[in-house]
Amino acid sequence: MWLYYTRLAWLSLKRHPLLSLLMSGAIALGIGAAMTTITINYLMSADPIPEKSDRLFYVQLDNWSPNEPYDEPNEPPDQLTYTDATALKAQAPAQLQTALAQSGGVIEPQGLGKEPFLARLRLTHNDFFTMFNSPFLYGQGWSDSADETGDRSIVLSKNANEAIFAGENSVGRTVRLEGKEFRVVGVLDEWVLKPRFYDVTTGAFNEMEDAYVPFKVKETMELPNSGNTNCWKMPEGEGFKSFLTSECVNFQFWVQLNSAQEQQEYMSFLNAYVEEQKKLGRFQRPLNNRLTDVMGWMEHENVVDDDAEVMMYLSLMFLAVCLLNTIGLLLTKFSFKTGEIALRRAVGATRMQLYQQQLVETVFIGVAGGIGGLILAALGLLGIEYLYGDQVKDLASLNLPLLGIGILLAIISSALAGAYPTWRTCRIPPASQLKSE
Amino acid sequence: MLVMNNITKVFRTETVETHALKQFSLTVNEGDFVAVTGPSGSGKTTFLNIAGLLESFDDGEYTLDGRSVKNLNDKQLSQLRNEKIGFIFQSFNLIPDLNLFDNVDVPLRYRKLSKAERKERIEHSLDVVGLANRMRHLPSQLSGGQQQRVAIARALAGNPLFLLADEPTGNLDSKMADSVMSLLEEINQSGTTIVMVTHDLSQAERAHRHIQVLDGQVTEQKRVAPELTTVNA
Amino acid sequence: MSQIGPIFRALMRNKVGALLIALQVAVTMTIIVNAIHLINARGDLMGRSSGLDEANQLYVTSVGYANDFDAPYVIDTDLDGIRQLPSVDDAVQINAIPMSNGGWSMGLQTKAGEGENSVPTALYMTDEHGLNTLDVELIAGENFKATEISYRDRNTRDWPQSVILTEALAKSLFPDLSPTEIVGQTVYIQSNEPLTIIGIMDHLQAPWTGWTTVNHSMLVPNKFDSPYSRYLVRAKPGQREQAIEQVEQFMKQREVGRMVRETETMTQVRMDSYRGDSALQAILWTIIVVLCIITALGIVGLVSFSINRRRRQIGTRRALGAQKADIMSYFLTENVMITSVGVILGIAGSVALNMWLVSSFNLPRLSYIYLPIAMIAMWTIGLIAVWGPALRATQISPAIATRNV
Repeated sequence: MWLYYTRLAWLSLKRHPLLSLLMSGAIALGIGAAMTTITINYLMSADPIPEKSDRLFYVQLDNWSPNEPYDEPNEPPDQLTYTDATALKAQAPAQLQTALAQSGGVIEPQGLGKEPFLARLRLTHNDFFTMFNSPFLYGQGWSDSADETGDRSIVLSKNANEAIFAGENSVGRTVRLEGKEFRVVGVLDEWVLKPRFYDVTTGAFNEMEDAYVPFKVKETMELPNSGNTNCWKMPEGEGFKSFLTSECVNFQFWVQLNSAQEQQEYMSFLNAYVEEQKKLGRFQRPLNNRLTDVMGWMEHENVVDDDAEVMMYLSLMFLAVCLLNTIGLLLTKFSFKTGEIALRRAVGATRMQLYQQQLVETVFIGVAGGIGGLILAALGLLGIEYLYGDQVKDLASLNLPLLGIGILLAIISSALAGAYPTWRTCRIPPASQLKSE
Repeated sequence: MLVMNNITKVFRTETVETHALKQFSLTVNEGDFVAVTGPSGSGKTTFLNIAGLLESFDDGEYTLDGRSVKNLNDKQLSQLRNEKIGFIFQSFNLIPDLNLFDNVDVPLRYRKLSKAERKERIEHSLDVVGLANRMRHLPSQLSGGQQQRVAIARALAGNPLFLLADEPTGNLDSKMADSVMSLLEEINQSGTTIVMVTHDLSQAERAHRHIQVLDGQVTEQKRVAPELTTVNA
Repeated sequence: MSQIGPIFRALMRNKVGALLIALQVAVTMTIIVNAIHLINARGDLMGRSSGLDEANQLYVTSVGYANDFDAPYVIDTDLDGIRQLPSVDDAVQINAIPMSNGGWSMGLQTKAGEGENSVPTALYMTDEHGLNTLDVELIAGENFKATEISYRDRNTRDWPQSVILTEALAKSLFPDLSPTEIVGQTVYIQSNEPLTIIGIMDHLQAPWTGWTTVNHSMLVPNKFDSPYSRYLVRAKPGQREQAIEQVEQFMKQREVGRMVRETETMTQVRMDSYRGDSALQAILWTIIVVLCIITALGIVGLVSFSINRRRRQIGTRRALGAQKADIMSYFLTENVMITSVGVILGIAGSVALNMWLVSSFNLPRLSYIYLPIAMIAMWTIGLIAVWGPALRATQISPAIATRNV
C-alpha cells in the first residue's frame, strides 16, 4: 500500500512541478536559514570539555574597591591578582589546580631562513595539562619543581613545533624565547577548544596558544601582560614587582573538584584564605567568593554572541513564514483533489487510508525540503564564514548531531505544514464532489 | 438484496427543514435493472447517496445483502462500499493523473488482492467495456463515452453486488449514451444488478423496473414486461 | 468599493486560506521591521566618526627581541626615518590604535581623593606629532611641546603634567565650562595625581568601539619604552600605498634585533572592528529579500489556486456583464483586505518582538517610523504578487459559464 501511495504522491507532485518546487523550496529556505543559525549557536554554546565540565571550577575572589563593586550588582572581578593566584596554587588543597595568564614573546627559531615570530604564550602550572586533557604528541608537561622554581621549560603547540623543528620530536631540545633558552619538555597534538573556555576574557573563540611555560616565569623573566588588566588602585612602589603585588587582576584560576564535598571544602578554604587576607588589610568588601563550573562560567561570560542568538530567533520566525506558506499551498493543492478523494471514499477507501496517502505526499515535500535545507545550511555557513572570517573559524561547520537536528527539524516542519491540510482534506464527505456542477 | 424500509432523511438549515426522503421504501432483487426517475429536488440524489452508503439517514431501515447498515462505522461502511457497490457517475470522476489501468485499479487497491489478481480483473473489466487496448492512456486522451466506459470497468472490476449509476449518460451525446446504455444492459444480462438514477424517461424505459420519486416518496412502480427486454437483447 | 461587503463575505467562507496569507504577512512584517531597525542601528554605529583621517593612515608594529635591544634609541630613530619618507606626512609611536579594541583606560576626577566621582577615558600616549598624525584639531589651548615628551615604561607610576582631552571628555568633567575655560583646569588621575589640561581637541574615539563612553579620549605626552612598539603613520593624501611600501622597506632594512609585523591600514582596522556589524547587516538583508520573495510567491500560489477554483464563477460574472476591470479590482480588493489584516497583526508583532529584543538583548528601542513604511511595503508586495494571477483571471472567457463540466 505504501508503495502505491508513493507512486500517487509522485504523480501528484509531478502534475504541478512549479508548485511542488515552491513548497519544498520554501521549507528548504526556512530550514536552511534556521540550521545555519542553530549551527552557530550550537557550536558557540557547545560544552568544550564534556567529560569533566561539571568538575572544573573557575575561581573568583572579591578584592575590589570598598567603594564600588567590580560590576553591578556586586559582581566580583573576573580575574585574580598575581598574589592570590600564586597563593591559591601554593596552598593547593585540591588535587589539581592551576593559575593561568596570557602573555607573548618573540621566538627565534634556529636555522637558515627561519624568521623570528611573536608567539602567543600561556603561563600556567603543570596541572593545566591534566585538568584540561591536553593531548600530547611527544613528551609531557613540566615537573612540579619547574612550577616552583620557574625553570625554563616549555611545551609547544603542534604548529609551533612545525615552525621551529619541522614537526620532529623536539623533546629535550631548546627554544629561544624572549632572548632566553627554554628546554622543550612536551609537544601537543592538534588541540582546539571551542570555546577556549579556560580563558575567555579576551574572546571565547580566540586561537589556542603557541607555547606554554611555567607560571612562575612571569616573575623571573618579567613577561608582559596580555589580555585584560584591571586595577581599582594603582600599584604602589616601583618596578615590575610592584605590579605583581598590586590589586590589579590579570590572572585566571581553575580547580578540579570531583564531588560536592570537595566543592564545599574548597569553598571553605577560599573563605578562610580571604579572612586571613582581610587581617592584612586586603579584601575590604564583604566575602564574595565564587566557584563556577565550565558551563556556568560560559553562561556568566556570555560566550554565545547576542547577535548569533538574535539571528537564530529571527531565522526561526523566517522558518515559520515558510511553513505558513507551505500550509497554504498544500491546502489549496489538496482542495483540488477533493474530487479524487471523494471518489476514493465512494469506492471504499477509509479516512485513514486517504490520510496516509496525503501524508506520503507531504513527507515527500518535507524530505525534499529537508535535504535542500541542509544543502542551503552548508552554503549559509560558507557565507557566514566569508562574512565573519576568523571570528567564526571552526564554528561554521555541520557535524553529525547537527545533521540529526536538521533532519528532525525537517520532519517536524513538514509534519506541521502537512497536518492541517491533510486532516482537512480527509474530512471530505464521500457524497460531495461527485456530482458535476 | 437491497431493502429500504421507511427511510427518512431531513436536511436542516437554520431556518428550514427539508424532507428529502419521507417514508421511502424500496426493494431491489438480484438481477434487477431498476431505473429511478423524478424531477429535480424530488429526492432521487438523496436516495442514491443513501443507497450508495455515502450519506446517513435519519429514520427507517436499510438492509444491504441481509445486513442492516444503520449502525455501521466509517470503516465498515467503506468496506461495504468497496465490496458490494460499483459506482458510475454522470461526470465519470476518473482521476486525471492516473492512466486507465490505474483508474480501474483504484477500488481494488483498498482490498487485499494479489498483484496478479488485480491485473487480471482490471484487464478483464477493461476488456468487457472494449478498452483493453488503451490501458496506458490517460483519461484526457479519451472521448466522453470512452471515459464513462472506463468508469463502468472500474465499477465492475470489484465484482460488486450491484452497480449504482447516477445519470450515467447525462454528460454524453445521444449516440454515445446509447452505446453506454447497451453496455449496461449487457452487463445486467450477465447477472449484475443495476440501480440507475436518470431523468431521461426513454432510458428508464429500457430498465426492467421504473420507479418514480416525487417529494421524497415512491409514487409509482411499474414492472416492465420481461419479454420486452429479451427482445431488446 | 461597493464590492467590499460581498468580497468580505466570500472571504469568510475560505477563512483558513485568507488567514494563512494574513499570518504570513504579519510574521514577515514583524521580521522585516525588526531587521531593518537592527540594520539601521548597526549602520548608525558604523557611521560614527573616529575622528581620524582613515583613508591615509596605517600602523606598523615592531617587536624587539635581541638582548641588547635599545627601545628608546630604536623608537626615536624609527620615527625620524619614517617622518622623512617622501610619502609620509607624519608619524608617532602610540600605545593603542583607535577602533582596534585594545588599549588603556583610566579614570579622571575633578576632585582629588579616593572614592570621588571618576570619569573613564581612553588614554593615548603620543608626542607633539600626535595631533597631526591622528588628524585631530585643537579647538582650544595648545599642543604638547617637544620638550614635554618623556619616556615611560610599564613600571612607571607617575604621570606627566599636561594632557589634551577630547571635547566630549572635557564636557563630561566640566559640564558648565566652555572649552577655553576648561583649558588650564586641573584633573586628578589615580585619585590624587594632578594633571593640567592644556588643550581641547575636537573628536577622537577610544579604541573600544562598543564602549559607552567611546568619545572620551585623552592624549598624554609620553613615549613608551618597550620592545613592543606601534607606529601610527599618516601618509600624504592619496599616497597610502606608497607609504606602506616605503615604511615596511625602511623598517626591515634596519638591523636592530627586532621583527616587523604586518602593516595594517586604518581602513582594515575599521573593517575588522565592525565586521560583526556589517556581517549582521548582510545576513539581515538576505533574510529580508528572501522573505519578501517567499511571501510574494506564496500569495501568487494561493491566489492562482483560488482563481482556478473560481474559474466558472468568474466566467459567469463576465457573462453577466462584469468588465475585466471589475474582475481585476475584485481580486486586488480581496488582497488588500487580507494584507491589511496581516499588517495590523504585524504591527502588534513588530512591537512585541522589539520589546522582547530590548529586554533580552539590550537592543535599541524601535523607532515607530518603520511601521508605516513596512505597512506600505507589505501592501505593495501583496499587490505585486496578486497582479499577475488577477490579470489572468480577467482573461477567463465568459463562455465557460455555459460549458458543462
